[in-house]
Amino acid sequence: MIDLVVAAAAVGFWVLVYAFCRLLTRPASPAAAPATMELGAESPALVSLLVNRWSLTEDAAESTLLDLAARRFFELRQPGDDPMRTTVHLSARPPASSDLAAYESQVLERIRGLSVDGVVPITALTFRNAAESARWNKRLRQAVLAEARAAGLSRRRISKTMSTLLSVLAAGVGVVVGFAALRYGFGKPEDDQPPAFAFGFFTFAVLSTLGARSLGERDTPAGRAAASRWLGVRDWLRGHDQFASLPPAAVAVWDRYLAYGAAVGVTRLASAVLDLEMGDKRLVWSSFGGAWHRVRVRYPRFWPRYGRPLPHLLLRAAAYLLAGGLILRLFGALDYFAAPAVLLLALGAYVLIRSLLDLAFTREITGEVLWRESWKSKKQSDDSYVTWLFHLAVDDGSGDRTTAWGLPAAVGSGVRDGDTVTITVRPWSRRIVKIVTVGHGRSREIVDTVTEEETGSLSLTMMPAVATPLFSDETVAQVVGRAVVSAPLPLGLQYNAADTGKPMVLVQSLSGLPGKVAWRANQRGAEVPGGAFVAGDRAAFRRGETTYVVTLMGEGRAGRPHLPWLVAQAR
Amino acid sequence: MTTVTAVAGGIVCLLLIVVVAVLVATYNRLVRLRNQADASWAQVDVQLKRRYDLIPNLVETVRGYAAHERGTLDAVVAARGNAMSAAQGAGPASRAVAEGELTSALGRLFAVAEAYPQLKANENFAALQAELSTTEDKIAYARQFFNSAIQSYNNAVQTVPTNIVAALTGFRAREFYQAAGDERGPVRVQF
Repeated sequence: MIDLVVAAAAVGFWVLVYAFCRLLTRPASPAAAPATMELGAESPALVSLLVNRWSLTEDAAESTLLDLAARRFFELRQPGDDPMRTTVHLSARPPASSDLAAYESQVLERIRGLSVDGVVPITALTFRNAAESARWNKRLRQAVLAEARAAGLSRRRISKTMSTLLSVLAAGVGVVVGFAALRYGFGKPEDDQPPAFAFGFFTFAVLSTLGARSLGERDTPAGRAAASRWLGVRDWLRGHDQFASLPPAAVAVWDRYLAYGAAVGVTRLASAVLDLEMGDKRLVWSSFGGAWHRVRVRYPRFWPRYGRPLPHLLLRAAAYLLAGGLILRLFGALDYFAAPAVLLLALGAYVLIRSLLDLAFTREITGEVLWRESWKSKKQSDDSYVTWLFHLAVDDGSGDRTTAWGLPAAVGSGVRDGDTVTITVRPWSRRIVKIVTVGHGRSREIVDTVTEEETGSLSLTMMPAVATPLFSDETVAQVVGRAVVSAPLPLGLQYNAADTGKPMVLVQSLSGLPGKVAWRANQRGAEVPGGAFVAGDRAAFRRGETTYVVTLMGEGRAGRPHLPWLVAQAR
Repeated sequence: MTTVTAVAGGIVCLLLIVVVAVLVATYNRLVRLRNQADASWAQVDVQLKRRYDLIPNLVETVRGYAAHERGTLDAVVAARGNAMSAAQGAGPASRAVAEGELTSALGRLFAVAEAYPQLKANENFAALQAELSTTEDKIAYARQFFNSAIQSYNNAVQTVPTNIVAALTGFRAREFYQAAGDERGPVRVQF
């Protein structure tokens, strides 16, 4: 018995040490220095970390955006009284972006990537995909923390030494627990003895994992001094009543003060307008057609026909007809059974006819994917579910309202928000039966290789044969910095590394309607002489009725700075 | 009857308490706004004094290369003296006039400096010019903060019901610090 008590005491001791460590490493709450309007050298994102007791909030990204506006990378314009109508206009001659911190570049890239003709509504900067939003914000947080640590303003809350110490202690506790389990089993039959080693190891694993878990950041002496100074700035700004109600466009007057105000949390209105996290799925911005507009989206959930496959609808119609027929046959003599039976028969006939019409009259719609989310899923194992039907909201430019379609996972689950797609639909059941991606979305951070699934089903008669390649192998080699060999594809050419055979550059060409749609979808990023557009690893330009899209892939992305030059070499 | 009187008395007491609480809160708000305006003015003052301190060095540096530009140099010194005199108790409006004259005189001085390549190449002159430029920026922001504080204060003093408390307790609307002279002039575009 004493062994169990000792084991429990050992675990208790470890918990006590851990609690002490947590207590000891709590981020400081520095006292504010006297109120001042003197700004320091730290960026607004770092200031946000410092004044929020070494935890990062959404203020970091928002204040960075305002700071970039204050530094004239872009302009914020508010056309009327409503700050929600503020638009971001990229500067024609922005300052050099080489000095920007990683997180500042990240915010700037998002704005540049989303802009259409250099303009993007401020409320269109939100994300439509939770995973993408989380990834983007995590990357930003990591970049801010890295800079804060490099500047000596912040450090890990649980240091590596402390973590090692807790692990060593946990090992000791594990030994004690294992020994207690061993002793507890003495005198018992062998098959009834507790697995002493397993007990010990389990205890060690749990405690050391708990000890190594990240608890965020904490202060440093330099960080405390800076935080104190910035809290003084916060008090100064807070003292000005008007500051709380300044809209984002006021950055034109207040310059970096507004950005720092957002960082320290005193710009209530500007912070309410700015949002770089998840957006509202029912009111989504669309740039389809070349101009930004808001589309109200409805997500049907309760109508039984929505998203259902044809066999399911036919089965339902048959069930109605059968039930109606049976009731009529068995209880036809009774008046009060006749009415529901006739109703069921009518319903069955209606569902049958509409389903067949739905099958006969499919429609083809081209538009921008506004939102995609899981709708129906089935249980695969104890704790995992597999989505078999998605909601897919598509803006075809015909109005400011739309209803989401049912997209079966089997038809295409790879489509993402912002992509331009051509969908073949059954209008009555609102089910998508075929989907073709004709342009990748602006929010796509990493340009994926265009797959056979996406391109193969496009009508090849609409595609021009690439009789003469636009770029010679030598020209492409200069861009990617290594020898390449071109290989024809159904929609263009792929330039592969001569030594490894890995794809470096993909040149796609589309004409007809898909060409027009692809051109619309790729008119983003910076416009270069000759009417071409370059955004990230992708460039697009027109020659006559044909749209050419050049995509750098894999190691070929190293040639990104030379992409405008490559486009200019098109012959 | 006694109960009715007690209830009425209670209501009157409650109303009195509410009125006193509102008066106190309003008064405190006015005091807070006035203090904020004073603090903002102090920031303007700090930056303006910083500019006065930079000018003698600047004048001496220019004199070393362009001693015969006496008229311009004397104008700067005189404008600085006027501005410093205006700083002794004058209100924002008259002070803005004096500061505007000083800004104009400095502008002429820098225009003169353009004609002296050796002066422009002088490190000390360049540093002073940069420092002065930074100070001018700070003055502009400080003025913005001051005017913002004054606007909040004046709004409180002039709107109902705060104006009643303000009138009873001696709070009066205050002047803005407006840019004068060249700073307010139209932007000139040269082709």
